[in-house]
Amino acid sequence: MADVLFTNVRIFDGGGETPFQGEVLVQGNRISRVVKTGWGARSAPVAGAQVVDGAGAFLMPGMVEAHTHFSWNDQPSLESIQRMPPEEHILWCAQVARRYLDMGWTSCVGAATAKPRLDVVIRNAINDGTIVGPRYLAASQEITVPGGLGDTTAPHLPQPEFAFGAVVSGAEEMRRCVRMFCKYGVDSLKINLSGESITGMPSEMSQFTEEEIRTCVQEAKAWGKRVAAHARSTWSIKQCVKHGIEVIYHASFADEEALDLLEAHKFEHFVAPGLAWLINTCHHASAWGLTPEVTRKMGYHRELDAAIESMKAMRRRGIRILPGGDYGFAWTPHGTNAKDLEYFVKYVGMSPMEALLSATAWGGPMMKLGKQIGYIGEGCLANILLIDGDPLSDIGILQDRARILAVMKDGEFHRAPPVRQARTTRWAA
Amino acid sequence: MAQAPGEVLFTNVRILDGTGQNPPYAGSVRVRGRQIVQVSRSAAATPAGDALVIDGAGATLMPGMTEAHTHFSWNDAASLAGIQTMPLEEHVLWTAKVARSYLEAGFTSCLGAACAKPRLDVVIRNAIEAGQIPGPRYLAASQEITVPGGLGDEMLPHLPFPEFSFGVVVNGAEDLRRVTRMFLKYGVDSIKLNLSGDNFVPGADAKTTWMTDAEVAACAEEVRMRGKRIIVHARSCASVKQALRHGIRLIYHASFTDTEALDMLEAARDEVFVAPGIGILYALLHEAEPWGIDHAKAVAMGYEEEWAAACESLRAMHRRGVRVLPGGDYGFAFNPHLKNARDLELFVKHLGFTPMEAIRSCTLYGGQVMMRPHELGLVKEGYLADLLLLDGDPLANLAILRDAKRILAVMKDGVFAKKPPVAQARAWERAA
Repeated sequence: MADVLFTNVRIFDGGGETPFQGEVLVQGNRISRVVKTGWGARSAPVAGAQVVDGAGAFLMPGMVEAHTHFSWNDQPSLESIQRMPPEEHILWCAQVARRYLDMGWTSCVGAATAKPRLDVVIRNAINDGTIVGPRYLAASQEITVPGGLGDTTAPHLPQPEFAFGAVVSGAEEMRRCVRMFCKYGVDSLKINLSGESITGMPSEMSQFTEEEIRTCVQEAKAWGKRVAAHARSTWSIKQCVKHGIEVIYHASFADEEALDLLEAHKFEHFVAPGLAWLINTCHHASAWGLTPEVTRKMGYHRELDAAIESMKAMRRRGIRILPGGDYGFAWTPHGTNAKDLEYFVKYVGMSPMEALLSATAWGGPMMKLGKQIGYIGEGCLANILLIDGDPLSDIGILQDRARILAVMKDGEFHRAPPVRQARTTRWAA
Repeated sequence: MAQAPGEVLFTNVRILDGTGQNPPYAGSVRVRGRQIVQVSRSAAATPAGDALVIDGAGATLMPGMTEAHTHFSWNDAASLAGIQTMPLEEHVLWTAKVARSYLEAGFTSCLGAACAKPRLDVVIRNAIEAGQIPGPRYLAASQEITVPGGLGDEMLPHLPFPEFSFGVVVNGAEDLRRVTRMFLKYGVDSIKLNLSGDNFVPGADAKTTWMTDAEVAACAEEVRMRGKRIIVHARSCASVKQALRHGIRLIYHASFTDTEALDMLEAARDEVFVAPGIGILYALLHEAEPWGIDHAKAVAMGYEEEWAAACESLRAMHRRGVRVLPGGDYGFAFNPHLKNARDLELFVKHLGFTPMEAIRSCTLYGGQVMMRPHELGLVKEGYLADLLLLDGDPLANLAILRDAKRILAVMKDGVFAKKPPVAQARAWERAA
């Protein structure tokens, strides 16, 4: 691995400061030097490093996706995700993992997998170099109850293989289920605490008993694992705080009490609302039969309004809100995840700076890596993006693959910057 | 990695056309889209037009190689059980990784000879064809179909579950018909039958023959009906004859033969292919000690006897004009993936091939065994652009074919799977 020196770049270091002109030296898998340059400042000499002249490009930390489903296969329903055979499914996951890295997500937090071992296997394969992908935390399947979100069995086809999630009923079944996923090697357990309107159980409903939730968290903690919850309803958000469920997905219907609870424990939780799902289900899913009239009837428009209000309130209270969520459906295809940052600016009222920080500075602790990622600083892991343009003036450019000039993960270029081609003749030997 | 479909012009190359007839000649080759559109015998400059010009600087350009007996899903373990116990998800990713490595090693076509779980080969073939993963042209095989106690039945008496078995264990003609139909439903190109035993299996050595004619006939009937191919593991003399009797045209191993078997092979030589998998015999006899099989043990297992018999049988086949092809049983700890091209050296050293004949066995014959003789396996106008660029002359030194550094470039379907190294003028890159 050659050392790499980025010169002539505008550095966004993840600390919230205005970007500055400078240079970044990468040695091995870490950033070893960050210097400001300017009139009169001379860059230190480097021997043997590959020099990448950024020509003024924007250099920022690799982004962290906080709610990732590699195994969702860009289909319009849970059933059609579930029906993909396991062999094809694992190849699909590998392809998606690569795509995320391509698009600048150097770390992803698995939020649930569609078959028991997909996430674990993909994480391991990334770590041992079998496939290319972001740093990844592997999730379990969605744990749910009969009739809840993720129970896709039909009355006449009750086999568990037909279920998208892992269906449990009772504390001891929950315990067995958690233990099984821990045995498989997941990093986190996913529990569906609330409903999801499209599945028939409204988002404001909550399906688990307290005892089941307590058992899940207790068992996960015994194994040193994290719990993440699908929690749209008011009650489910409060349960997350009450039981110490660290990762709260959606949190659409947060009332004053829920907001107070979250604020009081704001450094113990991460909230990833997954607004893309709500926005696109309400407005961009007509091609799949989900016209605005249909989704209004389902309750999604009301939920979108509630979610926007909740996120605005959480932002004001300094609760950590992270991007990512439920990409991998037909109307939220993989790779378009950076739309979340645009949504944060447009709907939640974040500044572009806040939106960028939500994908970088909050990403380190979300990945359980503290400040080792999400920053351009000496000693940080070298997860670096080189962007053509300024995301602070147009957050939308992060959605454009062509504007992401280079992606480096752990000191190695996944995508090297394009080189100016002088000639078309090549010498083979 | 994607390369825009366009023209590529290889200039200043020594063309080894793969026919086995023509000595290499200096010239240039033009590729347009997926095809070779021009092969010129002149060293003079050719107008490049918009083509990407690859100046070979005298390197050898030859057809991509064909591996006639490939097991992508063998995982370089030392036993069948070690392959079988790999979980499904990991197994698929492993298989994908191996497929890519074969292509980059110069095998642009591979003929699946059996896979370790029912759908692995089919899924990998489909993923390659869909462009989802890189890999050679591939014909997908079934699992090995065997009988209780035969090669591939890895069930233990106290664990009699089919999931523990490496192959699919059948008993009786109708059972074989059902399993054949299942694999055909899955979409295989070939059905693999283990007609003979193998010295690797205690109690079912290489000279034993296991299936009834009724079983083989039931399989053959189904396979013919759907236009697919049967391929067989046939080490024993009786199994070679049985295969030929049932019209089976791709025979693996064929170590033990007698005059009758050789006469039968010769009579069918325009249709039959033999891929002996000579590499694994050599490896077990000489290189398997780290895995507990020292020379004495290999001899006791019967490998010395089989090696001698196989060399004699294959020399005779070669003399009689039977097509003998390289490839076979790479993917074990003692015979790992990517050493495959060593078969060609063994053909020359032990089977009486000339280097030119060895090359022909993986080029001209490769296109034939892949069932695309009219468009695959040669450097010829109108043929598919599956090409290797080699630093050196394989006719002088076949070993360069298994040296990644000497394989400068690999092209499949007109697209580089391995790009030729470009002379780097500077270590300086501009981003914008």
